[in-house]
Amino acid sequence: MRTFIAILAFLSTAQAQAADIAIALTDELIKVDTSFSGARLVLFGAVTGVENPEGAVDIVSVVRGPDTRFDVRRIEKRNLIWMPGETHTVERAPGLYLTAATKRLTDIAPLPDQDAYNLGADFLDIEMAGSAPEDEASSSQDGHAALFKNAFLTEIEDRGLYQDNVGGVDFKKAGLFTINVNLPANTPVGDYEVSVYLYRNGTMLGQDTARLAVNKVGIERRIYELAHNRPVSYGVFCVALSLFAGWIAGLAFRK
Amino acid sequence: MQIYLPIAEIPVDPFVIIFMGGAVGFLSGMFGVGGGFLMTPLLIFYGIPPAVAVGTEASQIVASSVSGVLAHLKRKTVDFLMGGFLVLGGGFGAIVGILIFRYLRQIGQVEILISLAYVLFLGVIGVLMLVESMRVLFRSPQSGPPRRKRRSVAWMAALPFAMRFRRSQLYISPIPPVIFGFFVGILAAIMGVGGGFIMVPVMLYVLNMPTNVVIGTSLFQIIFVTAITTVLHAAANQTVDIALALLLLTGGVVGAQIGARVGVKLKGEHLRALLALIVLAVCARLVFGLVTPPISPFVIEAAS
Repeated sequence: MRTFIAILAFLSTAQAQAADIAIALTDELIKVDTSFSGARLVLFGAVTGVENPEGAVDIVSVVRGPDTRFDVRRIEKRNLIWMPGETHTVERAPGLYLTAATKRLTDIAPLPDQDAYNLGADFLDIEMAGSAPEDEASSSQDGHAALFKNAFLTEIEDRGLYQDNVGGVDFKKAGLFTINVNLPANTPVGDYEVSVYLYRNGTMLGQDTARLAVNKVGIERRIYELAHNRPVSYGVFCVALSLFAGWIAGLAFRK
Repeated sequence: MQIYLPIAEIPVDPFVIIFMGGAVGFLSGMFGVGGGFLMTPLLIFYGIPPAVAVGTEASQIVASSVSGVLAHLKRKTVDFLMGGFLVLGGGFGAIVGILIFRYLRQIGQVEILISLAYVLFLGVIGVLMLVESMRVLFRSPQSGPPRRKRRSVAWMAALPFAMRFRRSQLYISPIPPVIFGFFVGILAAIMGVGGGFIMVPVMLYVLNMPTNVVIGTSLFQIIFVTAITTVLHAAANQTVDIALALLLLTGGVVGAQIGARVGVKLKGEHLRALLALIVLAVCARLVFGLVTPPISPFVIEAAS
C-alpha cells in the first residue's frame, strides 16, 4: 500500500514536467527460508512527463547483488587426471547481476552509458588479481587475466547469476509499469541495489534506485549463524543431535 | 518439493536425499558395513559440495553407529583399552586430516584429494573383496574351509610399554594401535568415513584380535573418531550441514532395517561379491570423472 501511495504522490507532483522514472519494490526483503527455491521480485514503477510511454521510451532495470571475491581456476590435465591448475582471483564482482529491458541493451543505451552505468554483464567493472606462472612475461599475464575474466563471466552466466533479459517490462495505464525479475535458487544473501533507467532515442532521461535485502530467516538463519559465529558449539550440537537421533532410531526399531 | 540446505546453500529434493540415505542404509544393513564410503561419493554425484558431503557424512556416521555401539556394550564385546588407544591415535589423525583438508580447500584442490583417496581405497578394497569371494565361490568342494590361525604378535609385544589387553587376549605394546588409529583418523577426516573397512581387517589380521570383539571395538572407535571429526570440520571449515545429516539419517535407519532382513537370506560369499561389485562401480564412476575432460574448462567459487 505504501508503495502505491508513494508512486501516486510522485505522479501528482511530477505532472507535465521533464520526463523521469521512479520505482518501488513490493518486497524490500527477500526471505531465504527452508522452502526457498528462487523468488520473483516485482519492481513497481512510474514514468512521468511522457504522454504514452509504451513504445515511446525504453526502460532498463538492474538488480545488483553484494560484491564478492571469486577464484577462477582452469581445469588442466596433469598426468592422467584433470585437476584445477592456474588460478586467478576476481577481486570484486557482484554476486548476482540481472538486467531486464524493453529492448536489447545495445539498442537502448549508447556505449559510453553502458560503460558508465554498468548496463549489461559485459560492462561490469571486474577487477582481476592474477597469479600467472612466474616465468611468463607481464604482457602475457595481462592476456591471461583477460582470458580468466571472460571465463568467469561465462561460468557465472551459466549458473544463471548474471543474466541480461529482454522483456519483463509491462506497461500499465497512466505511465505505470511493473518489471518481473526472477531471482534464481542460488541467489546469494546480502544487500542489493535495484536501479531503473529511462531512455528515449539513446538519451537517458532519468534514473532511480531502491534497496533490497536478501536474508536467511527462521531456522535457516539460526543454523547458519550458529555454524559461522560459534562453530565449535555448533559442532558439539551436531554430535549431540546425531547421538540422540541415532538412539531414538535404534529404540524405534527394536523389537 | 525442495528444501534449502542452510550450510550447503543449495536447494535439494528431500525425497531424493532420504532415498539415497535409505539405499545406502539398505546396503550397510545387508552387508554389515558403515556405508560412509558409499554415501560421500553419492552426495558428491548429486551435487552437494564435496567439503560439505565429507563434513556432514561424519555426523551421520555418529548417528548410524549409536545403536550398534549400544548393542555391543550390552554384549560386552568392546575392548575399551584397545578402543581407547585407537581413539587416541584417531583424534590426532583427525586433526592432521582436517589441517590437510583445510589447506587443500583454500587452494581449490580438495575435491581432487577426496576423489583420489576414494579411487585408491575403493579400488584396492573392491578388488581384494572380489578376489576373496571368487576364491571361496569357486573353491573345489573337497578342500575344507580355510582355518584362521592366530599368528604370533611377538614383535608387537617387544615394543615399549607392552601391556595386557584382557578382552582381546593380547599382550602387546599400545604403539601399533595408536599408529593404526592415527592413519584411520586422517582418512576419516579427509574422506568422511568411519574407517571400519580399514580398521576391521587391521584388527583381524595385524593386531590378531579375536573376531568377537573386533566389530564392537571398531564401532566404539568409529563413533568417537567421527564425533571428533564432526566437531573439527564444523570448527575449521563450517561444512557440517545438520539438515542434510538428519535427512540422510531418516532414510538410513529404515534402509538398514530392511537391508538386515534381506541380508540374512543371502549367502555370505554372494553378499561379499555383490558388495565388491558395488564398490568397484563407484570407484569406476570416480575414475571416469577424473580422466574425462571437464564439460567446462573453468570453475569458479567464492574465495575464502
